[in-house]
Amino acid sequence: MSYIIGSDVVRYACTCGILKPISKLYFCRHCLEVRCGFCVCHEVDSHFCGKCAENLPSSEARLKKNRCGNCYDCPSCHQQLTTRAATVGPKNPEDPKATPRKVFYLLCLLCRWSSRDVGIPDQSAVSGGWPERENIHANRLQEIQDMYKGIVLLDKQQKLEKDKKKQRRYMSFTDRTGITASMLRKRVGLPDIPHPLLKPKPKEPEPAVAKEDVEELPEELLTKPVNLCEVTTMEQRLVQPEWQPITVEKLFPIHKQLSVKRSQRCRSCEHNVSKPEYNPNSIKFKIQLFACFHIPEVRIVTVEPLRAGKTCELLLKFSNPTQHQTVITFLPVTLEMEETKISEQVTEDKSVVDDYLLEKKQPLSLTGTGSQPSSLLHASLSRQPSITVKPRPIAVPVVADITIPTSTFILPPRDDAAEYDDSGDTHNIQDDSKLVIWRKSNKAVVKLQVTPKEDLKIGDEVVAGFTMQHIYVNTITTVDNKEPQKCEHKVKVFVTLGNLVGSE
Amino acid sequence: MEMQDINYNKSEYVETASGNKVSRQTVLCGSQNIVLQGKVIVQSDAIIRGDLANVRTGRYCIISKEAVIRPPYKKFSKGVAFFPLTMGDHVFVGERSIVNAAVVGSYVYIGKNVVIGRRCVLKDCCVIEDDTILAPETVVPPFTKYSGSPGMQIGEVPECQQDLMIDFTRSYYQHFVPTKII
Repeated sequence: MSYIIGSDVVRYACTCGILKPISKLYFCRHCLEVRCGFCVCHEVDSHFCGKCAENLPSSEARLKKNRCGNCYDCPSCHQQLTTRAATVGPKNPEDPKATPRKVFYLLCLLCRWSSRDVGIPDQSAVSGGWPERENIHANRLQEIQDMYKGIVLLDKQQKLEKDKKKQRRYMSFTDRTGITASMLRKRVGLPDIPHPLLKPKPKEPEPAVAKEDVEELPEELLTKPVNLCEVTTMEQRLVQPEWQPITVEKLFPIHKQLSVKRSQRCRSCEHNVSKPEYNPNSIKFKIQLFACFHIPEVRIVTVEPLRAGKTCELLLKFSNPTQHQTVITFLPVTLEMEETKISEQVTEDKSVVDDYLLEKKQPLSLTGTGSQPSSLLHASLSRQPSITVKPRPIAVPVVADITIPTSTFILPPRDDAAEYDDSGDTHNIQDDSKLVIWRKSNKAVVKLQVTPKEDLKIGDEVVAGFTMQHIYVNTITTVDNKEPQKCEHKVKVFVTLGNLVGSE
Repeated sequence: MEMQDINYNKSEYVETASGNKVSRQTVLCGSQNIVLQGKVIVQSDAIIRGDLANVRTGRYCIISKEAVIRPPYKKFSKGVAFFPLTMGDHVFVGERSIVNAAVVGSYVYIGKNVVIGRRCVLKDCCVIEDDTILAPETVVPPFTKYSGSPGMQIGEVPECQQDLMIDFTRSYYQHFVPTKII
């Protein structure tokens, strides 16, 4: 419940040092590390309209400025507009056989704004056909855009030239990609076909000219009382940056902004950790390596009233989401250990960055040789490089000590049929009765002792932490090892126990 | 946080063979038009207007106290017509919420004091926060969180929302137990 409403009492430490509830974490099966939304690569899979659920290819989405062609938002209150039908008299009222005509207009069902308010003519078709407005500065904006595109291209070209000069002699890409026309030209010694967008110097648009005569301040601005019903709000203006209507009669429907489906990729091994299905309405995933499917979940059952310096009882419930039995061991949480690990990581980083630089050179010199202008323009967008994230120290004030139990306990595998099974648990697990006080199918409740620090004041939030070590069975089969592998995975868990109610 | 037991008075609730638990203190108009697929909880003072059109819920739906489930209508030139209301599996409707939607998908969480306007479509795995007023005919896409008046998208829900909702509604059903007589 707490996950859905959003109060996070149990948080897990991500590899990057951010604390998150388990529902927002991923678990990369390839590097066996926890990842969060901040330390994975987000990639846009598809664009779709949230209202009509239409899928648009990314090129078309870019052309339409990431807006849906058919759906509109209300310019006044930004809710979705609906198409309404109205009947009007037939074209020639003399003809008795003529049926009344149907016309359509847009209406906001929240604020009752309608396309008739601003004089947009009614349409005879249900969808589409609404007049598009041209921005008066469209040409100028296009010119400026073209110029900057040219500058980007020129920059890249210059970089390429520089690279070419120090290029290795006998390096050939033909081994990998086969020979291309542009390479052949180079080999024969012909000049490369110039890129269509590539000009020696980007054409600069006419600079803006300052005007001598400025319009006088209209007298009526000072004399006429302002009718606030006719003036648009700041929000209404900013939602249409191209037009920024000042008065309400200039409010025109806005094309609905598109949404995206994203897939997440682990940055260090470049495997996907989450990949949704293509269909916008589908909630299924092709790849879903969410932490809540792999790492045991911890929940607080009860905690005794917290008093500074006094030991109290904490009941935690563990559940095993995997199909394999696991063993859970408690270890103390060590925030200092992190430091040494970071410095090691930094040295590793350097080598990775070097590798990456090498990698980057190759695709650039390939795409730069012409024939594919789009890939040249968007080479940087098409794939994000892998960057190793430096783990940060965990910045959470742990103000209570948990007595780490020495014994471990077993969690049986998850069994979906167990819900319908009334025969009772027949696991025959020998438990430390001081630790495990209840168990059922893949769940167990564990009793721990927690002592808030003595210098806490009444009302302070009490956070305790421990490291949970569990046996993770990795079912990925590689060439040299077909058997599922067992490994010990550690994750730091922080529990917010509530506020201090009193002292000893 | 582990869910606490929610106790109810055994004499107040009717339990059907398919596991539906329906309070006697509810207003179920046109009960022949209401289909509860099983393991559905309808709590006291809830209203389901089956007399207007068919109401169909999936499994493991929770309709809290004083919630109103009311099929939407559409105005035509020759009067109004009511449309059936369908609800998916594992849906939670909070206290004092009014649901006027045409379709509520599966794994949807609707908070307290929410008004879902006429003929809204809530797709799977969306969350409507407490005190939201959703304008009529709004379409809520999957994996979004809506809040405010008028309701606007304020964020996203985690990708494992489906499993969270299944877990939540199941454990709600398991913890919804009659008061033990001592």
